[in-house]
Amino acid sequence: MGNVLNILFCLSLLYLATTTRVTGYLKVFVLQSILLFFIVMLPLLSHFSVFTLLLPLTILIVKAILIPGYIRKKIIYELEIKTTIESNIQQFNFLLLTVFTMVAVFVFSNLISKDAAVDPVPFAAAFSSVVTGLYVIIFRKKLIVHVIGFLVMENGIFLLGIAVASEMPFLIELGMLLDIFVVVFLMGIAINKISSTLAADEVSVLDKLKN
Amino acid sequence: MLVLFYILILPLLAGGLFFIPGNKKLKYQMSLLVSVIHLAASYMIFTGFAQPVVSQWFRIDAFSKLFLLILSHVYFWVVLNSWHFINQPDLYSPEKSRKIFFSMMNLYLFANTLALISNHLGLYWVALESTTLTVAPLIYYYRNKESLEAMWKYLFLISVGIAFAFIGILFLALSAHGTDIFEKGLFLSDLIEGSSRLNMVWLKAGFIFIFAGLSTKAGIAPMHPGEVDALSNSPSPVAALVSASLSGTALIGIFRLMQITAGTPVHQFAQVLMITGGVVSLLVALVFMFRVTNYKRMIAYSSVEHIGLIVLGAGIGGAALIGSMLHMIYNSLNKTAMFLMAGNVHRRYKSRESGDVRGVLKNMKWTGILFMTAFLAVIAMPPFGLFFSELMIFRGLVEQERFILLGVVLFVLLFIFIGMSRQTFAILYGKSERESEGIEEVNEKFNITHFTALALLVLLAAAGLFMPDTVTGVINQIAGELNR
Amino acid sequence: MEIISKILIYLIFILAAPLFIGIVNKLKARSTGRIGPSIFQAYYDLRRLMRKETIYAGSASFLSRLAPVVSFVSILFAGMILPIGFTRPLISFSGDLILFAYLLGLSRFFQILGAMDIGSSFEGMGAAREATFAVFAEPIYFFTLGSLAFIFGQTSMYGIFHSITLKDPSFLVFIVVASISVFFLMITETSRMPVDDPNTHLELTMIHEVMILDNSGQDLFLYQYSAYLKILIYATFTSNFFNPFNAQNYVVGFLVYLAVMMLLIGCLVWVETMLGRFKMKSIPQYLLFAASIGILNLLIYSFFRK
Repeated sequence: MGNVLNILFCLSLLYLATTTRVTGYLKVFVLQSILLFFIVMLPLLSHFSVFTLLLPLTILIVKAILIPGYIRKKIIYELEIKTTIESNIQQFNFLLLTVFTMVAVFVFSNLISKDAAVDPVPFAAAFSSVVTGLYVIIFRKKLIVHVIGFLVMENGIFLLGIAVASEMPFLIELGMLLDIFVVVFLMGIAINKISSTLAADEVSVLDKLKN
Repeated sequence: MLVLFYILILPLLAGGLFFIPGNKKLKYQMSLLVSVIHLAASYMIFTGFAQPVVSQWFRIDAFSKLFLLILSHVYFWVVLNSWHFINQPDLYSPEKSRKIFFSMMNLYLFANTLALISNHLGLYWVALESTTLTVAPLIYYYRNKESLEAMWKYLFLISVGIAFAFIGILFLALSAHGTDIFEKGLFLSDLIEGSSRLNMVWLKAGFIFIFAGLSTKAGIAPMHPGEVDALSNSPSPVAALVSASLSGTALIGIFRLMQITAGTPVHQFAQVLMITGGVVSLLVALVFMFRVTNYKRMIAYSSVEHIGLIVLGAGIGGAALIGSMLHMIYNSLNKTAMFLMAGNVHRRYKSRESGDVRGVLKNMKWTGILFMTAFLAVIAMPPFGLFFSELMIFRGLVEQERFILLGVVLFVLLFIFIGMSRQTFAILYGKSERESEGIEEVNEKFNITHFTALALLVLLAAAGLFMPDTVTGVINQIAGELNR
Repeated sequence: MEIISKILIYLIFILAAPLFIGIVNKLKARSTGRIGPSIFQAYYDLRRLMRKETIYAGSASFLSRLAPVVSFVSILFAGMILPIGFTRPLISFSGDLILFAYLLGLSRFFQILGAMDIGSSFEGMGAAREATFAVFAEPIYFFTLGSLAFIFGQTSMYGIFHSITLKDPSFLVFIVVASISVFFLMITETSRMPVDDPNTHLELTMIHEVMILDNSGQDLFLYQYSAYLKILIYATFTSNFFNPFNAQNYVVGFLVYLAVMMLLIGCLVWVETMLGRFKMKSIPQYLLFAASIGILNLLIYSFFRK
């Protein structure tokens, strides 16, 4: 069953690579958050208690509801961002790059899993999510898309945390809670201000700082 | 235990309290008091007067002592200058920023101190994130388009870097899997002690990621853009703070990793990685020094160059390691002075472009002289300390018979000198067209910034010539930690 | 005895091809509020074409006479490899899935040759487009079917589809996902929306239609019949993914087959009605997406299930 969730996770990454709309990106992120919720819930189904449910529920609420809602409401509606993402390289090449990376990551994690006690499929899925998020940040122009790319990367890190250190919930919570904080801070203040002081919210406007 | 209170809780309280709107002068004086107490406390820790009883979460070893002293020192001077800075006319200091300035500074001090003395990588990571968060509003001080851009880039790029560092920490946790270190909760002291029991593959992977992630924050190429952009577009006290103390905090993370890997086969690899990072930083500084047209950016690239030297020295080890630790101290002193002077120039000439600035030596007597002196120091002219520390790094290179590396480094440093001096002298001398535009021909008064810069430069020269034994003692301890 | 029943089944299959497309067209019309042609319209069209005169272009060579026949015959043979319902196909040996792919490829190759042979730039343009999309569509087939072959250790189509059982519940997701991939493939290979509009005759937008523009009479009959057969073959191929029941009873198997085909028709109609035609430059990306689903399945299941 765990495998299924990971497949869906990777599929969502593929969809991220093909879609050309900002709302598409957002949908992928929401899907990933819901999948994460189930992935986290899965091993906990055996020992049920209110305590253990707390973390997954928080994740679900913050990642799948609050953050996308905030993005959708404040940023997309209020600021009337054009729905297309703007890309630095062709869509086809981006998808090709993502697929190649995924293959490389899976092969690599297969090799690694012989060495250490990691579950190879979640590890590979998580790692490809991190790299795909990185690609989104590198190859896309819009700021809000950068933020979503960062969120996707974080999802990957979270999944990595689960795959690697599932016995140390402390570490995982650490990563998540602070990252969420960072992202909220990032978005809430920076983007709102950016859109109100800059005419367009594309990164090309941010080139003023270059020599 | 009380010492911990002074360095940790006091700034936190101050930071929290200063959110309450009130008399700014009072806040300034209280912040100054806090910083003096902090300085005194870290000095006592440094000399061993105070041996705080620590819980397992804190670790006051040689690294912490040195870096803590550097932090306190720089912070003290910056806070000293902040009153002058805040009282600039309104178009330079928006009211909103002024209100939160002191609270942010104190929170920064708290977060930074926490990072330096933490014994758990997770805690370190959280504290590091917090420093980013507290510095960001400070970068945004002027509240215009450029500073918004700078803040966004800084926040974003650093966060990506820190996310990578987190992956590294996860890998480190993985490498400790199955050992008792894992059971006990992954404390740094356990990791260092039991490093031979760790899984080498994952340790290596963890090192790579943590190094890559922290390079974003420290300003090691090729992950330097975030740092450089922030430094060139933030107000000068903030730039001084970031360049002098924050890069140190990022570096301590890398050094902790080195502590862990010392004595294991991964150490070689770690050293190679550090040397590579150092050389690439030097090369990047070289290239950009000729292309840069903004004098604050030039200082930022000089910062990249010096961090590169530090990392290079640390990677080489031996005498070079000692040199790079000394370099850290001197660099912090020097950069603070430079940025403060650059801030003065900016205020007077209202532009950051070197093309617009001419004749500083004539128009702003004190700033000009001090800027020139700071420049001479940064290119390692004796008797300033940087000369001696660089010499030690070179000595380390020679001892290890890495002559090619030595040649490359010397070559790069020479050309960086050429590039930097070209701009600096252009700024200092010459007649600018803008003179006719009516830059006030007022004679510059000797104010607190000049006093600070003067004091720092004198300290730099003195410390170069006469290094107190306590310092060498601590540095030797550091070398010992890394050479197990 | 078996052979006879197999041939019989196959004959019925061939004869039912125009009916399939008739149903699709009728439903499509209904769903947009039109009455539409009768479901037997395709038969009437074929009968009409049989009686018409075949005209060849002046610049055509022997290829123009050869191409329709080869194309039709290779599709016929490809159909023989396909398991219909759950019966054992006429041709079945280890490795026949590659033969299947390349028989269909042969058919397309001759269509392209025939189109280019005429010498008109119209057909050339269509041929170029068709060839490009074929290149991107092939990986979909091989990755999807290849991953199945890898997992089950069988290389015969019949063997593969009969090893799909619901033993492992995660297979369900795998199958659904793979069938989505193959659905994309079907749409591409048979030139339906959103890859190619079968109703358009504007020069900028035609892909498949333009290749047969200059054919008439028996040639056109053969081409049209090949197209109908191709759709039915691909639909059956897709429906095979949903045969996990391993029904031993003929009747049950046949009923399941019918049900799945109905479902497929519904999906096809829905897609054709809802989606407009994609921009041509984004079609390779669309195909790569389908292929990468196959690649993903391959990665996850083959690396980690041994």
